[in-house]
Amino acid sequence: MLVLTRRAGESVMIGNDVIITVLEARGDVIRLGIQAPRDVQVHREEVFRELQAANREAASPTEDAVRAVTEMLQTPEE
Amino acid sequence: MIDPSLGLPTITMAVPMPGFPAHREFVLVRLNDDGLLYAFTSIQDPELRFLVAPPEPFFPDYAPEIENEVFSALNTRDADRLLLLTVITAGVEETTANLLAPIVVDRDTMRAMQVVLSGSGYPVRAIMHRAY
Repeated sequence: MLVLTRRAGESVMIGNDVIITVLEARGDVIRLGIQAPRDVQVHREEVFRELQAANREAASPTEDAVRAVTEMLQTPEE
Repeated sequence: MIDPSLGLPTITMAVPMPGFPAHREFVLVRLNDDGLLYAFTSIQDPELRFLVAPPEPFFPDYAPEIENEVFSALNTRDADRLLLLTVITAGVEETTANLLAPIVVDRDTMRAMQVVLSGSGYPVRAIMHRAY
């Protein structure tokens, strides 16, 4: 892992168009500002990991599971 | 060659779904007559599909705020043309809906992305009940 030391107000560039700026450091809490192109999504790591896991779990359900959900969502006959 | 999209309009992901970086194009296949359940199906690999549903009938109080960055990523001109779909995880015991990260589709530009509603407090796994 590359390790850099930065002060508040200083930035790091990743590639040509991602800029991460240290806005404030207070104890063990660091506030970062992130500028990235719109097709680069920025997430807190734990949120991204949780979403990735949830998506993988949701992906490609079995036919039985699809049938169960379809039945659950069926509006009863009038 | 058979068109795997079956002539349905192609939806392009402005940003790939977390966990599925290689899948950029999807079609929305309707699974029931009421229009409550769809399969968001990858064109690259039709084996990959997500069950999705409009959240309103199931979560009437669900009213997420969509940020301007999403409009610009989807090239949205008219916010009324955005379609919100919640990703469903079908289980034997229970079925859940991901309210934290809905898929937002712009029906004019046919661009979409899974939007993380940071700070909203919405759950990743909300239990779904019958629509009636």
